[in-house]
Amino acid sequence: MPGGTTPPTPPIVLEAIGKRYETTSGAVQAVDSVSLTVRAEEFVTLLGPSGCGKSTVLGMIAGLVRPDAGRVLVDGTPCDGPNPDKVALVFQDGGLFPWRTALDNVTFGLELRGVPAAKRREIARGLLEPMGLRGFETKYPRELSGGMRQRVAIARALALDTPILLMDEPFGALDEQTRLLMGEWLVGIRRRARKAVVFVTHSLHEAIALSDRIVVMTARPGRIKDVIDVTLPFPRDLNAPEVTDLRAKLWEQVREESLKAMGNPP
Amino acid sequence: MGRLINPEGGSRPPSGPPPEDKVAPAKPALEAASPSRYGRFFDSRVGVLGAQAASIAAVVVAWHVAVRTGVADPLFVPAPGAVAGALGTTASEALPRLGDTLAKAFLGYALAVSLGVAGGLLIGSRRLVHAVAMPYVVAAYGVPKILVLPWIALIFGLGTGTAVITATLFAVFPILLMVAAGTRDVDPTLITAAVSMGATRGQVSRKVLLPAVLPSVLAGMRIGVVFAMLGVLLAEMFAGTRGMGFLMQRMAMAFKASELFAATAVVSILSIVVVLSLEHLNQRLSRWR
Amino acid sequence: MTVLAWRLGILVAILAVWEVAVRPLNPIFYVPPSALPGALVRMWRVPELPALGEHVWLTFTEIAGAYALAVAAGLWLGFLLGLRRTVGRIYEPLLAALYAVPSVIWYPSLMLFFGLGPASKIAFGVLLGFFPIVLSVLAGIRQVPATLVTVARSMGARPWTVFRKVMLPAMASTMVGGLRAGLALSVVGVLVGEILGSRAGVGYVINYAYGLMMTREYAVLALIAAAAILAVDTVGALVEARVKRWAG
Repeated sequence: MPGGTTPPTPPIVLEAIGKRYETTSGAVQAVDSVSLTVRAEEFVTLLGPSGCGKSTVLGMIAGLVRPDAGRVLVDGTPCDGPNPDKVALVFQDGGLFPWRTALDNVTFGLELRGVPAAKRREIARGLLEPMGLRGFETKYPRELSGGMRQRVAIARALALDTPILLMDEPFGALDEQTRLLMGEWLVGIRRRARKAVVFVTHSLHEAIALSDRIVVMTARPGRIKDVIDVTLPFPRDLNAPEVTDLRAKLWEQVREESLKAMGNPP
Repeated sequence: MGRLINPEGGSRPPSGPPPEDKVAPAKPALEAASPSRYGRFFDSRVGVLGAQAASIAAVVVAWHVAVRTGVADPLFVPAPGAVAGALGTTASEALPRLGDTLAKAFLGYALAVSLGVAGGLLIGSRRLVHAVAMPYVVAAYGVPKILVLPWIALIFGLGTGTAVITATLFAVFPILLMVAAGTRDVDPTLITAAVSMGATRGQVSRKVLLPAVLPSVLAGMRIGVVFAMLGVLLAEMFAGTRGMGFLMQRMAMAFKASELFAATAVVSILSIVVVLSLEHLNQRLSRWR
Repeated sequence: MTVLAWRLGILVAILAVWEVAVRPLNPIFYVPPSALPGALVRMWRVPELPALGEHVWLTFTEIAGAYALAVAAGLWLGFLLGLRRTVGRIYEPLLAALYAVPSVIWYPSLMLFFGLGPASKIAFGVLLGFFPIVLSVLAGIRQVPATLVTVARSMGARPWTVFRKVMLPAMASTMVGGLRAGLALSVVGVLVGEILGSRAGVGYVINYAYGLMMTREYAVLALIAAAAILAVDTVGALVEARVKRWAG
C-alpha cells in the first residue's frame, strides 16, 4: 500500500465455519461452510428464515459455540471462548437481570472488570441518558416496557466499549410500532457507536434500513446464499425506488429459502 | 441464542421463532374489580377487616351462649371466659414448655434449611442428578413421615433428639423441592449474558445464580417453618416428656378443656404471627418480581 | 449409563448398604431388609398382635369417611369463597391464616371432644384433607380465562350452563390436583390420629408394636403402609394426568 501502512486487520473473519448438533432424531448440520469478513465499523446483517443457523453463526463469533469446522478470527486471533474485551452481545429477549435496576444491569460488565463504583455509574448514566432513559435508571426491568428493556440491553452491551457488537434479533419480541421506532433509533446511534456490528434478523425491512451489507442465508444447513452491498445514504427512505427494487430482490431470495425451511420446495 | 449455552456444558440447537406471549399479556380471569353486592363498604380494606372482626366476635358470642344454655357440654367445650382464665393459670407451666418447643423447632429448621437448600441447588443444577434422584425425593415426600416416627423415637428416646430430627425430616422436603425447582427455572439467557461479558464460574454463581434462585429459597424457607413446628409438636405428642405437644396431650387426657383450648389458641396465634412476619419480609425483599 | 440404570443402581446400593450396616447392630433398633419377609409371615399368626385384617378395614373406612367429608366440605367452601366475591374477600384471609397453624395442634382438642374412637380420626382427616381442596377450587376459579366465559355468554348460555360447560372443565386440571392432595392428607390425618391415640386401626397396631419393641413387625407394617399409600397416590397421579390431557 502507498505510504507503507499495513491494511488494518478486519475485526471478524469467518473461515468456512460449520456446526452440527446431535439431536435425539439424528445429527443436524446447522451451519455449513460459511465464510465472511466484516470490516471495522461495518454493519452486516444476517438475513434468513427461522432455523437457518444465523444465531449459531453469531454464537460462534461470540465464542459461546465452538465450530466443528473452520475457524473464527477476532481481530486476527483465533477465537476459543468468550471475548468480553472485543465482543458484546444483545439478545432477543434482553437477558436483563430482573433483580437489578436498569443502571445496575448496565454496570454489570464493568463490575466484572473491576471498574470502581462511581466510574461505573457515570458511564452507565452517560449511556442511558441519550437513549431517553433518564429518570428510569432505578427502575427494575419488570417496570419497563419492551422497547425500554431492549434499550437497556443495548446500553449494557455498549458499556464495555468493544469494537464488535453482535445483535440477535434484538427487536424480535417487540410489537410492530415499537420495532419500527427502535429501528429508526438504532440508525441514529450507529454512526456514533463506531463498531463493527453483526445483526441477525428475519425482517427485510430492518435489514435494508440498517445495513451496509446484507448476507442472505439459506435454509438449514445454513450457507451463504448471497451477499448484497447496500450503499444508499442514511437515513434511508423506504419508499425510494432503489429500496423497493432491493426489497423485491431480497424477498425473492428469502422467500425461496423460507419455503424450503417450511418444508415446501419452491 | 441464549439457549446455545447451558450450565452443564452441553449445547442445544438454536431456538425457533420468538415467543408469542410477549405480544399481549394474558387477560385477567373472573376476579375483575366489580363492586360488592353487599354494599360499597365491603370493597375497602376497613370494611373487610371489620367484617372479619365482627365474624370472629359473633362466633365467640355464639360459643358463649351455647355453653351457658347447656347446648354444649362444658366438659368438652369450655366457655370463652373459662378459656381466658385458663390462660392465666397455665402460663407459668406452659410458657417454658413453649420455649422448649420453639427452641427444638428452630434447631430442626436450621438443619432442614441447610440440607434442603444445598440439596435443592445440587439436584436442580445437574440434569443427571435431577433425573436420578427426583423419583426418590418425591416418593419420600409422598410417604407420611409419621410412619418413621416410632423408629426415630426408638433410637433417640423420648427427648430433644427425636423432636429435632423429626422437625428436620418434616421441613427438609418442601424446602428441597422448592429450591430444586427454582434452580431449574433459572433463565439460561441470563447465564449466557454473564459469560459473554467475561464472568468466571464463581462470578456466575454469585452474581447470577444466587439472586435468581433466592426467591425460591425464601419461599421454601417460609413453608419450612410451619413444617418444622409440626414435626416438633408431633414428636412431643407421640414420645415426649417436655414441650408444648406433650403438655397438650396430657391436658386432653385429663379433660382439662379450658386449659387445652387456651394452649391451642396461644400456639395458633404464635404460628400465625410468625408466618405473617415472614410473608411481610418476603414482600419487602421481592420488589423486583 | 441410562437414567433408569442409575435409579436401579441406587436402590440396590441402598438395600445392600442397609443390610450390611445393620446386621451387626442391635436388633431391637435396627432391622435389616432380609428380616422383613419373615416378620410379615409371623405377623399374621402372633397372638399378642390383634387381628390385623380388622384393623386394616377400620382404617380404610376411616379414610374413606374422612375423604368423602373433606371433598364435600372442601368443594362447598371453595365454591362459596370463590364465586361469592365479597364472602371470599372477607373469609379467605382467615382461612389462609389457619393454614399457617401446624395442624397437629388441633388433635388433642379433637380427642377430647370426640374421644379415642374413629370419630376423632375422621374429624382430623377432614381437617387436613379439605384444605388443599378449597385452595385448588379457589385457584381453579381464578385461572378460568374471562374470554371463555364471555364467549359462552355471548352465545346465550345461562349462568348454570356457563358454570357446567365452561368453568368446570376449565377448572378441572387444577381441581384434580387438589383432590389428589386432599386424599393424601386425609390419609395422613387418619394415620396420625391413630398413632397418637386410639384403640384400633393400623396406626394403633404400629404404636402397639413400637411399644413392645417389636421392631421387625413395626418395620414391615410401616413399609407396607408406605407402599400402599404410594400406590394409591400413583393411581391418583394417573387420574390427574388423564384429566389434564382431557381438559387441556
